[in-house]
Amino acid sequence: MNRPGEPTTVEQQLGAAAALAGLPSVGPRRLTALLAGRAPAEAWVLATSGRRSLLQEVLGGEAGLTALTEAWSAAGRGIDLTAVLAAHAAAGVAVRVHPGARGSQEDEADPAWPSYPEALVDDLEPPAVLLTQGPLEHLEGPRVAIVGTRRCTGVGAGVARELGRELSAAGVHVVSGLALGIDGAAHRGVLDAMSAHDDAAPPIGVVGSGHDVVYPTRHRELWRTVADRGLLVSEAPLGTRPTGWRFPARNRVIAALADVVVVVESHAAGGSLHTVQEAIHRDIDVMAVPGSVRSAAAAGSNQLLAEGCHPVRDAGDVLVALGLQRARRRRVVEHRDAPSTVGTSVLEAFDWEPATLEHLAVRTGLALPELAVALEGLVAAGWVGVDGGWYERRAAS
Amino acid sequence: MLGLVPSASLLGVEGHAVTVEVHITGGGLPSFTVVGLPDASCREARDRVRAAIESSRATWPMKRITVNLAPPTLRKVGSGLDLALAVALLVADGQLKAQQVAGLAFLGELGLDGSVRPVTGTVCLMEALRGHALVLPPQSVAEAQLGGDRALHPVHSLAQVIACAKGDEPWPSPVPCDEPPPPPPLPDLADVRGQPVARYALEVAAAGGHHLLMLGPPGAGKTMLASRLPSLLPLLSPAEALEATRIHSAGGFGLPPGGLVRQPPFRAPHHGASSVALVGGGTALMRPGEISAATNGILFLDELAEFAPHVLDALRQPLEEGVVRVARAAATVAFPARFLLVAAMNPCPCGQGSRPGGCRCTDGARVRYQRRLSGPLLDRFDLRVEVQRPSAEDLFTAAAGESSAAVAERVAAARALAERRGVRSNAALPAQRLDEVAPLDDAATSLLLDALRSGRLSARGLHRVRRVARTIADLDGAPHHLGLAHVATALSLRVDGIGPVAPHQELAG
Repeated sequence: MNRPGEPTTVEQQLGAAAALAGLPSVGPRRLTALLAGRAPAEAWVLATSGRRSLLQEVLGGEAGLTALTEAWSAAGRGIDLTAVLAAHAAAGVAVRVHPGARGSQEDEADPAWPSYPEALVDDLEPPAVLLTQGPLEHLEGPRVAIVGTRRCTGVGAGVARELGRELSAAGVHVVSGLALGIDGAAHRGVLDAMSAHDDAAPPIGVVGSGHDVVYPTRHRELWRTVADRGLLVSEAPLGTRPTGWRFPARNRVIAALADVVVVVESHAAGGSLHTVQEAIHRDIDVMAVPGSVRSAAAAGSNQLLAEGCHPVRDAGDVLVALGLQRARRRRVVEHRDAPSTVGTSVLEAFDWEPATLEHLAVRTGLALPELAVALEGLVAAGWVGVDGGWYERRAAS
Repeated sequence: MLGLVPSASLLGVEGHAVTVEVHITGGGLPSFTVVGLPDASCREARDRVRAAIESSRATWPMKRITVNLAPPTLRKVGSGLDLALAVALLVADGQLKAQQVAGLAFLGELGLDGSVRPVTGTVCLMEALRGHALVLPPQSVAEAQLGGDRALHPVHSLAQVIACAKGDEPWPSPVPCDEPPPPPPLPDLADVRGQPVARYALEVAAAGGHHLLMLGPPGAGKTMLASRLPSLLPLLSPAEALEATRIHSAGGFGLPPGGLVRQPPFRAPHHGASSVALVGGGTALMRPGEISAATNGILFLDELAEFAPHVLDALRQPLEEGVVRVARAAATVAFPARFLLVAAMNPCPCGQGSRPGGCRCTDGARVRYQRRLSGPLLDRFDLRVEVQRPSAEDLFTAAAGESSAAVAERVAAARALAERRGVRSNAALPAQRLDEVAPLDDAATSLLLDALRSGRLSARGLHRVRRVARTIADLDGAPHHLGLAHVATALSLRVDGIGPVAPHQELAG
C-alpha cells in the first residue's frame, strides 16, 4: 500500500483490480458495485476496511454482510498490490479493467491502462475486471460460441470437432468453455484446423477459474495450447478455484463474446441452456445441431429447435447465419481405409446411434466371432469408437 | 456315580468328538452345573433335558449333578449334545447301565416332550464319531449315510432310547430308503429370448470358470441370465458334492431331498449382507458364509456397487486362494470358497450411464458410485459384458435359443480339455503356461499388440484375455492355436472403462 497523499500508480490500480476480483464471494455484481465510480485502489481500501457500515452503503443491506466484511478484511491483510500485478505479468496474464470501472473520466482514456475488449464494453453485464492470456486481436472478426454437454455422445463430439475445424478454417473464431465433452471437442477441431492451415482463426477459451487453476485437469494440455495459440479469458485472478457459481458467470461471457451461439448437444436441463438464455438476453442468434429423438444427450438441443432455433447441419449453415460466403467451406478428405464387406454391413447397422455388441449382433445377424473381428477392424481403422460396452460410428475427420 | 457317552460338536465345517461326562453325588443341595466351554444354547440343555426325562417316564435325580463336556478346551455350540447328555445322566443315576449303551454314540436335540430332533452339520460330525454305532433322529439318516458306512439307529424319542437300551425292544435299523427323487429342474437357458451376446458370455463363463460381470440398466434380465448358469455346469463330482453338502449342512443352508448336494449351488445374497454373512464366522459358531455355500457353484452378487466396500474387499483373498480363513480369538477355521463369481451392476445411480450421452447423474454422484468398487476386485472379472433390455420384437420374434442341455454338452467338453491341461478350468491356467497351451497365430498376435499399444488392454488384462480366448477356442473345437476370431471375441467380451473416468469424454481427444 502506498502512504496517504502519494499518487496511486496504474500498476497499483491494476493490482487492486485483480485483488478485488479474487476476494472471497466476489462475483460480477459485487465487483461492479464496488467499482462503481471508484478507482480500483480506492475500492480495495473500502472493501478491506473491515467497516460494515461503509460496505452497506455500497452493497446494500444484504444478509451475511458482517461475515463478508470480516472475510474481506482478513483476505486483504498483507496483500501487496504491486506484487499481485507482478505475479500476473510473470504468468503472462494481462489485467484489463472496464473503462467505466477506472474511477474517473481521464482514466478512461489513459493509454497506460491495458485496453479492454471492444466486444464487451457495451455488454449488459460487462466483466469489470478481465484477465486474459494472448493478444486481444484474436477477438477481431466473426466469433461463434460452440457449447454443449459434458456427457456427450461420440457422434456429438465428432460434430463439435468438425464444426470447430471448419469454422476456424473459414476464419471464424470459436469461443468455448474448455469443459469436457462438446466444449473440448470444438476447440480440438480448431487446433486441427490451425495445424492444417496458416490462416485458421485461433480459439477463444473462457474459463471460470484462475489461469493457473486448470479445470478439468484432463484438459491441461488443451488449456495450455489455447492460452499459447489463442486467447484465454477469465474473470478470476490467479489462484481462484472453480467454484460452482463461477460457471453461470462464465457462460454469460461466452454468450457476450459470440455473434452466434451453436448448441451441439444438450441434456434437457443442461448448463449450456444457460448460455442460450444469456445469448437470448443479448439478442444473439442461437442455433442448434439436431440430434436423434432417442438420444437423451440431444433432448435440450432438440427442444431449442422445436422452439424455433435455426438448425445446424454443418459449418455452412453457421457461415450463412454469419453472412459469410458458403464457398469458404473446405471439403473433408476421407483417408481411412475402406471397410471390408462385412465391416460395411456392420457400419450400416449403426444408423449413427450408439450400439452394444448385442444390438449389432441382433441387427446384422452375424455370429459373434465374425462380428468381433469386423468391429476390431473398424475400430483399428477409426470407423468406430468404443466407449465401455458401447460402440459408435465416427464421421470422417 | 459316573456316566460317559460319546457325541460330537461342530466347529466350522469340522466335527470334533466330545465325551459327555455326568457325575452325580447324593451329598449337598441339588444342583446342576455344566463345565467345559458350553455356549448359551448348550447350557440351556439342562431345562430341555429335565423336561424330556420327566416326559419319558424316567426320573430327574434331585441330587448334585456335574456335567463335563470333554475336551474342555473346545467350545461347544448348539443343542446337538442334548440326547447324549440325557443318556449319560440316566447312566450316572443308575437308571440305565453303562454296558447297555456301550459302543453307541448319540446325536440329537431333545424336545420338552422327549422327541429327538435333527442337528445341523450331521454329515460333518460323522468323521468324529468313527468306531461307534450312532443313535440319531430319523431325519438325519440320509445325511449321516453320506458320512460313511456306519451302523445307524434312528430313534423318535428319548422313551424309545430307554426302551431299546433296557432291551425291551431292539435298536431300530434305517429303513432302506428309495432312490432320492430327481432334483427339481434348473431354470433353462431356452427361456432367454434374444440376447445372443449375454448367452454366449454365460457359456464361456461356465466352460472356462471365468468370473462374469454384467453391466446394464435395471430390467435388462441380468438376474434371469445369472440364474441360468447352474444348468450349464456339469453335476458335481462325488468329492465336490460331499464338500458342498458338508458346508450346506454345517451352515444350515438346507439340503435337497436325499441329502446330497449334486447340482452346482447358486447363492445370491442380498446387497445388504454383512461381511460375516458373506465370508463366514461369528463369535462361537464359526458358521460358513455365503461364499462357502457357493463352493463348486455360483455366487451371484446383484447390484454389486450397493454392497459395502469392505464386504467386497473381503472377497479378494478367497477369489485368489479358493479358501477363506476366518480367525477369531477362540479359533481359526478355513472354509472352502471356490466359486464362480457372477455380478451385475448398473453403471451409475440412474442406471442409464453406459449409453453415451444417456446418463442423468451428476459427475459427483457417478464418481462416488463407481468408487465403491475397488480396481483389484474389478480386475478379477475376465468377462464384462453390457446387457441391454431386449427389444419387444426380439421377445416375440426371436427363435427360442438353445436349451441348457445343448450348451452344457459343449461346456463339459471344454472343461474336459482344461482338465487335460491339469487345471480345473482355463481361468486357473498359470500365466507362464499360456505360451505353451494358448499359442497365438500371427493375426491374433498383431491384434493383441494393437490393443496393448492403444491402451485398450493392460499387461495384466492380456493374460486374462488369452485365457478367455483359450476357452472360446475350446468351445469352437480349435484345441491348438488361438486365431483372430477367438482373440477378437475375447476382447469384445471385456468391456473396459468401468471406473471414475467415462472414456467417451476422451473420445474427442
